[in-house]
Amino acid sequence: MTLVLALILVPFAAGLILLCLRPDAPRKVVVWATILAVGCGTVALSLAPTPVDLTHLPVNVHWVNLAMLLVEVAMSLFILYVGVRAKHPLIVLLTLAQAGLMTWFELAQGSHVEAGQSLFVDKFSVIMALINGLVGGGICLYALGYMREYHEVAHRDVPDRRPLFFALLFIFMGAMFGLIFANNLVWLFLFWEITTLCSFLLIGYMQTEEAKRNALTALAMNLAGGLAFAVAIVWLYRKTGSIELQALINSPDKALVLLPAALLCFAGITKSAQLPFSSWLLGAMVAPTPVSALLHSSTMVKAGVYLVLRMAPVIAGTKVGLMVALVGGVTFVVGSLAAITTSDAKRVLAYSTVANLGLVVLCGGIGTYEAVWAGVLLIIFHAVAKCLLFLCVGVIEHKLHSRDIESMAGLIVSMPRVSVMMQIGMAGMFLAPFGMLISKWAVLKAVVDASPLLSVFIVFGSSATLFFWVKWMGKLLEVVTPHERVQKELDLGEAIALYGLSAATFLACLLFPLISSRLIEPYVWSVYGHSASLGQGNIIIMTIMMALIMLFPITFFNYGRGVRVTDAYLGGANLQSSTRFLGSANTTQNVTIGNYYLHNIFSEAWLSRWGVTGSTVLLAVMFLLALV
Amino acid sequence: MSPWIRLLVYLVAAPIVGGLLAGWDRRISARMQSRLGPPILQPFYDVLKLWQKENVVVRRSQNYYIFFFLLLAIFTGALFFAGSDLLLVIFALTLAAIFFVLGAYKASSPYSFIGAERELIQMMAYEPMVLLTAIGMYMVTKSFSVDEIAGHGRLLVLALPGVFLGFLYILEIKFRKSPFDLSCSHHAHQELVRGLITEFSGRTLAMIEIAHWYESVFLLGWIYLFFASMPVLGIAMSLLVFVLVILVDNVFARLKWQTALKSAWLVAAVLGFGNILVLSLLR
Amino acid sequence: MIGFKQSPWIIHYDASSCNGCDIETLACLTPLFDVERLGVINTGNPKHADIFLVTGAVNEQSRDVIRNIYHQLPEPKVVIAIGACAASGGIFSECYNISGGVDSVIPVDVYVPGCAARPEAIIDGVVQALGVLEKKQKEMTSLANSLDQALYLRAEKSDAPEILALQKTAYQSEAEIYGDDSLPALQQTLEELQTEFDRPEQVFLKTVVNGKIIGSARGHAVQDTAYLGRVIVHPYFRGRGIGRRLVEEIEKAFPNAKRFEVKTGHRSERNLFQFRQQGYEQFKTEPFTPAITWVYLQKERP
Repeated sequence: MTLVLALILVPFAAGLILLCLRPDAPRKVVVWATILAVGCGTVALSLAPTPVDLTHLPVNVHWVNLAMLLVEVAMSLFILYVGVRAKHPLIVLLTLAQAGLMTWFELAQGSHVEAGQSLFVDKFSVIMALINGLVGGGICLYALGYMREYHEVAHRDVPDRRPLFFALLFIFMGAMFGLIFANNLVWLFLFWEITTLCSFLLIGYMQTEEAKRNALTALAMNLAGGLAFAVAIVWLYRKTGSIELQALINSPDKALVLLPAALLCFAGITKSAQLPFSSWLLGAMVAPTPVSALLHSSTMVKAGVYLVLRMAPVIAGTKVGLMVALVGGVTFVVGSLAAITTSDAKRVLAYSTVANLGLVVLCGGIGTYEAVWAGVLLIIFHAVAKCLLFLCVGVIEHKLHSRDIESMAGLIVSMPRVSVMMQIGMAGMFLAPFGMLISKWAVLKAVVDASPLLSVFIVFGSSATLFFWVKWMGKLLEVVTPHERVQKELDLGEAIALYGLSAATFLACLLFPLISSRLIEPYVWSVYGHSASLGQGNIIIMTIMMALIMLFPITFFNYGRGVRVTDAYLGGANLQSSTRFLGSANTTQNVTIGNYYLHNIFSEAWLSRWGVTGSTVLLAVMFLLALV
Repeated sequence: MSPWIRLLVYLVAAPIVGGLLAGWDRRISARMQSRLGPPILQPFYDVLKLWQKENVVVRRSQNYYIFFFLLLAIFTGALFFAGSDLLLVIFALTLAAIFFVLGAYKASSPYSFIGAERELIQMMAYEPMVLLTAIGMYMVTKSFSVDEIAGHGRLLVLALPGVFLGFLYILEIKFRKSPFDLSCSHHAHQELVRGLITEFSGRTLAMIEIAHWYESVFLLGWIYLFFASMPVLGIAMSLLVFVLVILVDNVFARLKWQTALKSAWLVAAVLGFGNILVLSLLR
Repeated sequence: MIGFKQSPWIIHYDASSCNGCDIETLACLTPLFDVERLGVINTGNPKHADIFLVTGAVNEQSRDVIRNIYHQLPEPKVVIAIGACAASGGIFSECYNISGGVDSVIPVDVYVPGCAARPEAIIDGVVQALGVLEKKQKEMTSLANSLDQALYLRAEKSDAPEILALQKTAYQSEAEIYGDDSLPALQQTLEELQTEFDRPEQVFLKTVVNGKIIGSARGHAVQDTAYLGRVIVHPYFRGRGIGRRLVEEIEKAFPNAKRFEVKTGHRSERNLFQFRQQGYEQFKTEPFTPAITWVYLQKERP
């Protein structure tokens, strides 16, 4: 019980402390201590029986509500100020509407607005808490070394506001815990808004024109979601007299709560950057890598899909659910196709994130027990693998001074450890028998059982994902011009985070039956009375496949034996190497190799245009259906 | 027949059957071109010769990927014939193909690189149709298990004509034959010198050939599934489809990869998805 | 063992041919002659091929290409020179840019005469090459199998032709590295080598397996220093300790020497590594040509 409260409050406290610490050494101590505490806390929570008894809180709820209202108002004023200064009318309007609505709601209803149980912990919350605590913790450790190099070497022109940076990371982490454990929708809303604010401040960290612009876009879109959230709370109270999340989910009259559910799904869609709101996530890639990893792939955007999955039992089988599923499906296909066309590594990862979240939203929209099981599985595996990839890209960006995939050629020679971990991460994203593949398999099964026509999205999207991941993997392996080995690839925090995540990718896959039976299936059972699993035989086969793949590194013991090394075939025109050849007029030419980006077939602009149009129409239809 | 026996039979017989199929392939192609053609056992002679040749490489680790490609190709076929989950079989095949592509990337030569990129485009082209085939079979038989699909009482092709035709279309890509032999043509045709397999020699090249044999048997086995309730018809159709693939190979010239991708996706969307749409409406 | 005779894969290169012989070669693939019934496939890729079919005489441009392709062919391999130009330069043999037939660059196994060579003759040449190929394969397998019975003996003057042939084959790879076949080792003639044998202080060693010489080394002593050189091993048998053993044996051949000196090219990584493993250290470099700098290594007798 106190564990839950501690998990929410300790990161907040740490954040506030970090705001005041300028020098690096005490900062390191605070970060390490907090991460260790949080990590142990989440693991302890996962071992505790659930649902945890949280009906009696040791704090006076009245005062907490009041404090939250004050924080709410303060944040809204700050955002208003930001909106006015940036002359962004949308932000101003949205904040006024949202803050006005919530303040009126809380003051007008007064003490009647209370939740019977403000906090709630079930297995799904435990899963999200583990992700936030362990993966998020790893990122914070990584950020220590990363930000030092960021300011001292790579980006010396960016003003050093590290106290604010780290403070925001931890405040965000606390807000995430609050979001995960909250049952009182008003509390959830506050934590939701805190994450929006953290995201805005962190995206704009570099303080360049582009960063500020993208931060404002992110703010506007998330505020739209926040407004929907606020309307949902008010409507729910009007109709059912309750502001509890569990009450909404377990409500006997589904039609009554359909509109609040649709509104919450809308909020989730904006937060997880589904179409038509994907541009804020793509723009957020200007932020330093820990931000991209923490907020924009592993944790914050997961809050969005977490909410959608929570809504799944309510919207299952309805037309609203179908619309949500379609939005998810369209995002998956468009995101995957768009990822093929770009060579900026972080942009590829962003598109991939958007696409995979689309799959989770698809699962939420379908809402059957199979789909929810698949969706939770996707969340777990995606968080781990994507985080690993972002962190690796961050390290590579610092060492190579480039984010372009084309410049990562031959990385297996110049940065072998990071390169291997990137390969593990990428394999974890789409390859059998790793986690994401298991999840995609589960999604496919859920889809064919529920509504087979939706499978068209998965089928086309997943073939696109194959292309851009393997293209990238190949780029790392090919050694056209030999590079020098980079001396020190990783420092301690970075190394722990990366090695830990790589191990987690493997372990999560090997231990997947355990994760499924201990964490996911109980949750699905509790909501639906049924659960899905993958079948004993299949699990054995996948273990065999994993074992086969793990044999691969062993072949390197036989490296170079029994073969004769020669040059690549360049039509016989080699000039003593595989990369130089005699061109016309006796000139020496170098071999250059570049990837296909299929610009003539899928252009980003065309894809966005159709994606945004299509998804806007779908969302409009969704609201109409919910109102009717 | 117990799955274990089927598995063993596959492991032992598939390379022989696959090699004979490859031999017949070259012979029939030659006859279509008014030539005599090599002896039926030619592929075996080729592999035996390659096995005794020196292994020349560009990068010292490139051959390991091919070895795993062979291993996983055998694994895929073994899974299929032992009767396990069809989706898992597809994913294992993708895994095998990816090892092949990574090996070509590792070889770090311009021809093998472009061959690898084209191979990826080909994989992207046929993947939707392959998945839709599995989904189609699930919708008719309510199971993904190859055992149960094979044991289904009705002739699957009657319920899945669109899927069958779509599958035939992408079979041309999987067999690496014109008009879609863009990454590395089977036997003598050249594209990008030898495309994907340019930098491999000796035993590694032999392994690639053997993997192709295993894969051919697996693909024809999948055709058999469409006719599984009448086994004799199934085997006859598999062989007929094989001859059809060779005929198309000899009649058509190679198309561009843009055409390959667009047409394969169009076929998947219209024939494959269309079939599934009709099935779900009829339910 | 079956294999080579039934499955000869060729790579065809036109050195500077008028295309007459090329057309005849490609005609062999047409339905009229149909060499595919013999299992012949025209792979465009040296790494897949066994037989190197060359047409046309060798000029400056094609010289390097021929060498590149030849080097990329895996063993065992045969070379067929098709047509008069490939055999000896044909009617172009006295042109300013023609250095001669294919055998002025790489060793040729079969010559198919004609101008243009007829398809029947070409097919006959291929069939003969198959016999050569099989013979080479058998030799190599039997040699490879009896490597443990290698004998390290003093060489006689009568071994000079075999050692010279081995020298030219072995130094091909060095020429590859530097792109320069003006290496002294490749330019040495039989007379020069025989003169060396006549010098009393020169010691020649040979490695013999099944009666074939697959390795050699030589050295001579001046006062306290022994100068070693030309440590050669047949390319097919490298990496099995023969070179190391040759160095050890030739060191033993100079019991009174207190210092050993040897030289190799600056980009011959393998040789440098090998010598360093055996206790040699670099002490001097000396440019020889723009492409090659000699690196001198020495070792004190312990």
